[in-house]
Amino acid sequence: MGIWGSLFLLFLILISAYQSFAKEGSAEELNEEFTEGLLLRPLADRKVLAHFHFQSSVPPTRTYGRHHHLFPKSIYQLIKKFRVREMELSFTQGRWNYERWGGYDPISSSNAKPPGVELWAIFDVPLDQVDASWKNLTHALSGLFCASINFLEHSTSYSAPQWSFRSFTGKLRYGTLPREAVCTENLTPWLKLLPCRDKAGISALMDRPSIYRGYYHSQRLHFTSDEYDTAKSNSGIMLEQTLTVVLQPNTLGARAMVSGKTLQPSWSLSSLFGRKVHGKCSVSKSSNVYVQFEQNLVSELKEVWKESEESERGILTHNNFWTNPIFEMSASPHRIVKEVGNLQQEDSSILYEFSVEDFNDSEPFDLGLKWKLPVAWSCQQAPLRASRFLMGSGNERGAIAISLKSSRNNNTQRVGCSENGSQLRIDIFQVVPWYVKVYYHTLKVFVDGELQSTMENIEKMHISSSEDKVSPGVMEMILRLPCGVKTAALTLEFDKGFLHIDEYPPDANQGFDIPSAVVSFTDFQASIGFEDNFLNKLPILNELQERKHVICYTEVLLVPLTTPDFSMPYNVITITCTVFALYFGSLLNALRRRVGEEERLLKSKAAKKRGPLTSILSKLFAKLTGRPIKPPETQSASPSSINYKVIVKVILVAGMAVGWQYYFR
Amino acid sequence: MIYPPPLNLVQFSFLAISEQYLSILTQTPIRLINYRFRYRSPPPFREIDDLSTAIESSPILFPCHFRAVFVNFDPNSYTADQLSISVQAHMAKFAAKNSPACGTCASNVTVSVTLDSNSNCISNGNNVDWKCGALNEFKFAEKHEDGLLDEDFASLLDNNSGAKVYTVVAVKTEQEEVRAVVGKYRHAWIMGRIFEEEAIEKIAEIFVNVFMNGGKEEGLIHGEFMPLGADGRIVLSFNLLNADPHNWIYDWDFQEIDENLLSPVIDALKPLADVSVESQVLYHTPKSSFSFWDDRLDSYIFSTKDLPFFVNSNEWHLDTSVAAGGLSKILQFVVYVPSAKECPLQLQLPNGEISTTNGFISPMWGGIVVWNPSACLTDSKIKHPLRYKISSEDSRKLFEVFMGQLRQLFGLKSDGLFVGASGTSILLASERGFSEWELDVLSRQHSCFNLLQCGTTLGSLSRLVQSLPRMIIMDDIGKQVKYSLEAARLTLSNALLGIYDASAGMFYSSAIWMDCN
Repeated sequence: MGIWGSLFLLFLILISAYQSFAKEGSAEELNEEFTEGLLLRPLADRKVLAHFHFQSSVPPTRTYGRHHHLFPKSIYQLIKKFRVREMELSFTQGRWNYERWGGYDPISSSNAKPPGVELWAIFDVPLDQVDASWKNLTHALSGLFCASINFLEHSTSYSAPQWSFRSFTGKLRYGTLPREAVCTENLTPWLKLLPCRDKAGISALMDRPSIYRGYYHSQRLHFTSDEYDTAKSNSGIMLEQTLTVVLQPNTLGARAMVSGKTLQPSWSLSSLFGRKVHGKCSVSKSSNVYVQFEQNLVSELKEVWKESEESERGILTHNNFWTNPIFEMSASPHRIVKEVGNLQQEDSSILYEFSVEDFNDSEPFDLGLKWKLPVAWSCQQAPLRASRFLMGSGNERGAIAISLKSSRNNNTQRVGCSENGSQLRIDIFQVVPWYVKVYYHTLKVFVDGELQSTMENIEKMHISSSEDKVSPGVMEMILRLPCGVKTAALTLEFDKGFLHIDEYPPDANQGFDIPSAVVSFTDFQASIGFEDNFLNKLPILNELQERKHVICYTEVLLVPLTTPDFSMPYNVITITCTVFALYFGSLLNALRRRVGEEERLLKSKAAKKRGPLTSILSKLFAKLTGRPIKPPETQSASPSSINYKVIVKVILVAGMAVGWQYYFR
Repeated sequence: MIYPPPLNLVQFSFLAISEQYLSILTQTPIRLINYRFRYRSPPPFREIDDLSTAIESSPILFPCHFRAVFVNFDPNSYTADQLSISVQAHMAKFAAKNSPACGTCASNVTVSVTLDSNSNCISNGNNVDWKCGALNEFKFAEKHEDGLLDEDFASLLDNNSGAKVYTVVAVKTEQEEVRAVVGKYRHAWIMGRIFEEEAIEKIAEIFVNVFMNGGKEEGLIHGEFMPLGADGRIVLSFNLLNADPHNWIYDWDFQEIDENLLSPVIDALKPLADVSVESQVLYHTPKSSFSFWDDRLDSYIFSTKDLPFFVNSNEWHLDTSVAAGGLSKILQFVVYVPSAKECPLQLQLPNGEISTTNGFISPMWGGIVVWNPSACLTDSKIKHPLRYKISSEDSRKLFEVFMGQLRQLFGLKSDGLFVGASGTSILLASERGFSEWELDVLSRQHSCFNLLQCGTTLGSLSRLVQSLPRMIIMDDIGKQVKYSLEAARLTLSNALLGIYDASAGMFYSSAIWMDCN
C-alpha cells in the first residue's frame, strides 16, 4: 500500500511538473504574429519568379481568447463555424511550366497549382456531417473571395480521396474548377486578409496590371488549425497566404549580346512591378526580400567565373561579390544564406537576404539585378515529367493517357532510386466528371513502349466509379516503375455521356474540362535546408525547408461532348415567324387593295404616257412568249372576277383561322 | 387622296392567332407542370386574412398594471378611489397627447392606490402588498444616495408573484426641493414638499411617458427601426481602426472589455435578444471626409455635415460576419484613432461646441467614436511607429460612450434625464446598461412590430398566391406558413395576457419570405 501510495504521489508530482513545464512552453509565444516576405528567382528562360509569402498565426483560443488583433476575423470565424482542420484554396491563371521553371523545388511542389480554382479541406466533424460542412464552406468562401466556388457544392464536382492526396481518410474533400477566371476581384478580398492590405510593406508591390500581365499567377491561401484537437499541445491557427507570379522582365529594345550569346535580362523591382517598397508593414514581425540562385545557376556561375578570371571558391558569398564581373546587385544583402544538407551536389543554392525595414518614403527599396556576362543554365526537374492527353476522335468514345517521361538529367532520379531500391514510386490521383464514363478495366500500363500486365506495376489502386449525376469517378493508384525507366504511360478508355439540356454550361461547344491529375513522387522530398538554425523563425524560409513530396499537376483536358443544337428553337421561331409574316403580308395586301381604284389610276397613267421603256419591254415579252402585243388596256378584264378572287382569299384565310382555333382548343 | 386601310379586322385576327400560336409554344409545358405541382399545399388563406386584418385593424396594446403609493399625505383630503380615478384621468390626458404607438399599454389601465400615513393605511386594489409603515424607518431628512434608495425600494416592493407592476411612491417630506427619480427596476419615487394634485399629475406623467413609452422624445429612433434581427439575434462588432499605423499603432485588450464590461449588458439583454460580440483591429483605414485645423480650438475639426462621409467603405473592411448568417442584425462600433496629420480630431456640433463624446451614431448601422491618443501633440516623426495599448481607463470611457450609443440605437435616452411637462425626473442608469422597465418597453415594442410585420408578410404572401394561381407552393413552405400562423396567433393571445415574447412568429414569417424568393 505504501509503495503504491508513494508511486501515486510521484506520479502526481510528475504530472504537475509536466504541466508547469507545458505552461512555460506555451507562455513563450502567446501573441499573434504576422510576417511578410518576397522571394525572387531568376528563371532559366529569361523570366523571373516572384513569390510573396505572408503568414499570420494566432495562439489557440483556449489560452488566448477569441479576440484578435492581427489575425483576420473572417478566417477565424470560418474555422470556428465549419470546424476546419486544414484548408487550401488556390486561384491560378496560366500553367506552371515544369520543364523551364523547375519541378523539383519547394515552390513548384507547393505553389504550382492547376489552372482555375482548387480547394481542399479537412474537417473536424463526424463523418456524416463532412459533406454538409463542405457545402456550407464552399458557399462561405465564394462569398468571401468573389468566385464561383459554390459550384463545388454539388456532389458531382467534388470527391473524397482516400489516401493518395493526403491521408485523412473520410474527412478530406477535394474539388477543382478548371475554368474559373481569376482576376483582381479575387485578389482584393485575399489582400483584405492581410493587416496592411496593399497599403504598406511588401504587398504594396502588387500592382495589378503588372501581376496579371505575367505568364503564371497563383494566389494561395492555406491554413491549419488544431482548435478542436483533443490533444494537449496545440499551436493555434496558422494562416499562410502566398502569391506566385512568373514575370517577363521588361527588356527595352534589342536583347543585349555579349560575345555571341544573349544576356539574361536585367531587372529591378520597379521594372518588374512598376512600384517600389516604401518600408515594411508596421505590424509585421519581419519583412525581407530574398533573391535565390538555384544550384544549377550557382554551378554555372562558378564555371563562368573560372573561365573569365582566376578561380576563387567563395566568390558568390564573398564580401564584395555584388560588383563581380558576372552580375551586379543594386544593394548589398543583409545576409547570405547557403543551402546545406544537399550532399549529392557540390554546389548548393544561395539566398541573398535584404531587409526592407530601414527604408521609407523618401528612400524606397528598389532591388535590381544586372547581368554582365551571359549565363545559361537549366532548372532542376522532377524525376519524371508527367503529361496527360486525349486519344481517339469522334463524339462517342476516346481514351485518356497519362505519360511519364524521364527528364533529361538523371541526377535526381538516381538520387531517389538509390534511396529506395530499384523501384520508383509514383502516386496518381485523378478525378473524372461523371459524363466522361471511364472504363477502369481498360487500364493499360506501358513501360518503355511495351505493354505490361496491369498488376505488375500497380502496387495499390482505389477506384470509386462515377455515378450519373451524383458523383465523379475517382482513381487513386500507386505505380512502381523500374528505376531506369525512360517512358511510361497509362491509358484508360471512356465513353462520352449525354447531358440534359439544362446541364450544359454556357458555351458548351468549347468542350468540357477534366481536372488536372495529381502526380506525386513520394520518395522525393523537395526542400532546401539552411545552415542557420535561427532561420527557422522566418516563415518564408520555413516554407522552403518544409519537407514535402515532389508533386506535379498534369494539364487540364478539354473533352468535346456531343452538344444539342442550341440554336434549334431560335431557328424554329425564326422560320415560323417568316412564314407568318409572308402569309399575313399577302393577306394584308389582298385585303387593302382597291381594285377599281387601281384600275382607274392605271388607266389614267396609261392614257397620260406610255414610256419608250415599257413599250420595248412589252415587245420583248411578246416576242419571248410568242404572242402578239396587247395594248395595256386589256389588263382591265373584268373587275367582278377580281372581286370574286379576293372574296375567296378572305374566306380561305378565315376558314384557316377557324380551323386553327378549333383544332387547338 | 389617302385612304385609310381597313386594318382593324386584320389586326384582330392576327392578335387572336398569334396568341393562340404562342399558347401552343409556351402553354403546353406550363400546363403540364401545373397539373403536377399546382397547389401542392395551398396556404390557409382565410385564416391568414383574418389574422392580418386583426393585427392591422388595431394596434396591439398590452395590459399593464400600475400602482401608486402616497406616503404621509393627509388621509382625509382624498380617498384611495378618488386618487385612483384622478390618476387615471390624468394618464388618459397624457396618453391622448401622443398617438397610440405600437407596443404601449392598453388604454383601460387600472391603477391601484395605497394611502399610507402614520395613522392608517388604505388600499383600493386587491393585490396590493405594500408593507404599510415600512417607509417610516427611513429617515428621509438624511441625504440618501439615489442608488441606495433604489435598492431599498426594490427590497420593499419586491413582489414574488412575478407580475410586472409599475410603482410610483410619492413621499411627502419637509424638503423644499421636489425630487423625482426613476429607478433601475420597475419603480419611481417622488419626494419633497408636494401637494396631492401636483403628485397626481407627476405620477400620471411618469406612468405614461416613462414606464409606457420609455421616456422617448421626438428625434429619437423610432421603435420600428430597432436593431434586432428577425431571429432575435444581434452581433455587436467592435472595430479599432488605426488610420495610419506609420504614426502609431494602438491596440486594446478587448478580452478584458468583453469579460468585465460587456457581459453584464449581454446578460441584461438576454430576454430581448441573443447578443454575440466580436472584435477586430484594422490598419490603414483613413476616414473619407475632410477635417480642418481650428486655431481657437487647437484641434482638427469635423462638423456634423461631414458625418455622412466619415465612414470610408472602401478602406474600412468591417466585414460582415460569417457567424451572423441569415437574419441576424449586425451593429458596428468603431473606435477611430486618427493619424498624426489630423490629430487631435474633434467633432463640432451645429451650435459650435465640441462634442463631449466625440462620437456619433448611424441608425441601424452602429456608432463611431473618435479617440485621440495622448501622444497626439508630441512630435511624431518617429522612424518606427510605437505600439501602444489603450489603457483600461480609456477603454472604460470608450465603452461608456458605446453603451450610450447602443441605448440610442435602441431608441432610449442616454443622458439620464427625463424632462416632462411637470418637471424633470432623474433616470437612474443601470450598470447593466438597460434598466428593467426599459427592457419591458423594448420587448413590448419589439413584439408589437414583429407581429405587425408578420401580419403584413403573411397577408401579402396570401394575396400574392391568390393573385397568381399558377405559383407553386412547395410542401415545406406550406408547412412553414402554418407554423408561422400558429406562432403569430399564439403571440397575439399571449400579448393580450401580458406575456411579450414574440420572436418566434416573426422568425417563421421571414423564413417563408426568404424561401419564396
